[in-house]
Amino acid sequence: MSTADTLVQAPAGTRDRTLDRTGAVRIQPPRRRISWMRTGVMILITAIVLVPIGGVVGLSLRPALGSNSNAAITFANFVNMFSQTQVLTWLRNSLGVTLVTVLVSVAVAAPAGYVLSRGRNRLVSSYSLMLFIVQSLPVVTAVIPLFILFAKIGLVDNLLGITIIYVGSTMSVSIWMMAAYYDSIPVSLEEAAWMDGCSVFGSFSRIVLRNSLPGLLSTAIFAFLLAWNDYLVALVFLRSSSNFTFAVGLESFFQQNSTNWGLVMAVAVLMMLPPIIIFAVLNRYFSIGGLGGALAGR
Amino acid sequence: MLIAFVAPSIVLLLLINLYPTIYAASESVRNGTLATVGRFIGFANYSSIFSSSAFWKAAEFTVIFSVVGVFGSWLAGLGIALLLRDRVAVPSVFKVLLLLPWIVPVVVSATSWNWLVATPESPLPQLAHFLGFHNALFLANPTLAKITVCVFKVWISFPFMMMMMSAALTSVDKNVYEAAQIDGASRWQTLRRLTLPLIARSTYISWILMTIFCVNDFPTIFLLTGGGPVGATTSLVVLAYQTVFEDLQTGTGISIAFIMTIALVLVSVFLYRQIRKVNIAE
Repeated sequence: MSTADTLVQAPAGTRDRTLDRTGAVRIQPPRRRISWMRTGVMILITAIVLVPIGGVVGLSLRPALGSNSNAAITFANFVNMFSQTQVLTWLRNSLGVTLVTVLVSVAVAAPAGYVLSRGRNRLVSSYSLMLFIVQSLPVVTAVIPLFILFAKIGLVDNLLGITIIYVGSTMSVSIWMMAAYYDSIPVSLEEAAWMDGCSVFGSFSRIVLRNSLPGLLSTAIFAFLLAWNDYLVALVFLRSSSNFTFAVGLESFFQQNSTNWGLVMAVAVLMMLPPIIIFAVLNRYFSIGGLGGALAGR
Repeated sequence: MLIAFVAPSIVLLLLINLYPTIYAASESVRNGTLATVGRFIGFANYSSIFSSSAFWKAAEFTVIFSVVGVFGSWLAGLGIALLLRDRVAVPSVFKVLLLLPWIVPVVVSATSWNWLVATPESPLPQLAHFLGFHNALFLANPTLAKITVCVFKVWISFPFMMMMMSAALTSVDKNVYEAAQIDGASRWQTLRRLTLPLIARSTYISWILMTIFCVNDFPTIFLLTGGGPVGATTSLVVLAYQTVFEDLQTGTGISIAFIMTIALVLVSVFLYRQIRKVNIAE
């Protein structure tokens, strides 16, 4: 390493002295130099954090209990889970519930977020406060009365019932996420359209929505995670195993076969694949950073 | 005219959130069950709750769980966001990998943590044994179970904080650091006097959201310990669930949930006003 490099790096301890010696103000370029020490620390942290997830994958590839296979890695668990569990039913139920939740909550949140983003009056402020209060209501408080209500109208042990609840529980955050995205689109575009005689609905659908794909995807990912990962609502509302979603299916299977780790973990791998794939593909669209602004800026 | 834009969301919020809350309020002064509406019994449910030690134990654990959940995940998330901010190779790869605990369904991660800690033959108790701590029963000893559940919650939640803090940090103007460097500020001073105040609003909002997430959290606790051992990790949400769906005392359970609701609404309206103040102050 040359002296120039050392100067540019200027570690914290030596900074005062270098400054005294040079005596002049040195505006340094942003330091893009890679620190292998920092990278090493990050690798260590990441490795420790990922132990439980690595464990799931590792165990799913191990030979099943009682099998006489000596292979280090086997896909037998993935083959067996289709015959020994109802994993296909759970997969179908979860996919159906999740997709409907995503579509409906994006469709409802997209226009609502627009009002939150552009509106500046008392009504919008109280709407915003209402969203905030609703978000803080415990799910368990909602679940008990809804169970009683849904029992009367045949929505207990019914996938439609839990879908309605999922859409309702995504509302606040979905609307904030959409509003946060609209905030980044200049109003002047719409104003130009209004001058040309375009209605508010027209400018919303033709200009704002068309430029909001990242915001829509972000909201969709959020709704997907909420519906796919939920446990409490499904636990309370779903009674028969043919209606189980993945979460309650996996949990009930785990309770009955807690020693057969290979098979349990194979089911677990299948359950965590969809969210991971979605994140791997759409990660760059997902942002919760704007959430703060959307929440506070009203 | 824009009412059409918000109408569907308002209908949903009324049905899924407001109606149940009002129903819970009216049911909390009755002795009904899941199938029948009961008689009006005044505040008997509340007085029995406030005199039960299980309720106060659950309230205490809810506070511990939330405080550790919020600040533990914030410290971890902020620390990693700061580390990743510069001079790390492939930061985006680390960011995606570290999001996994937040993305993976909690049923899956709870299953995995069960495998890690539940029985004496599990990897972590074996490791503890090797290090000289014998009989480290992570889920059978009340204190250890509390710690384990809190660590599990931090493990799940820190990626959320990492995302919030990373977003806040990227919006900080790099020039202020050069100015601080020229003035000879130490690393600690820069963090304490410059970085933290500049990301104060995001920090505040992330604390508020995480407090709500923690107080309302059911699966993290229920799936790992079921509220045990001997109720040590029973939070108010878990207690309300068990009272209604396991003990079948609907009125009492709803009252517990309703007390929580009132407390949370009061706290969140207060905090909501605070955010707006911070917002104006900036």
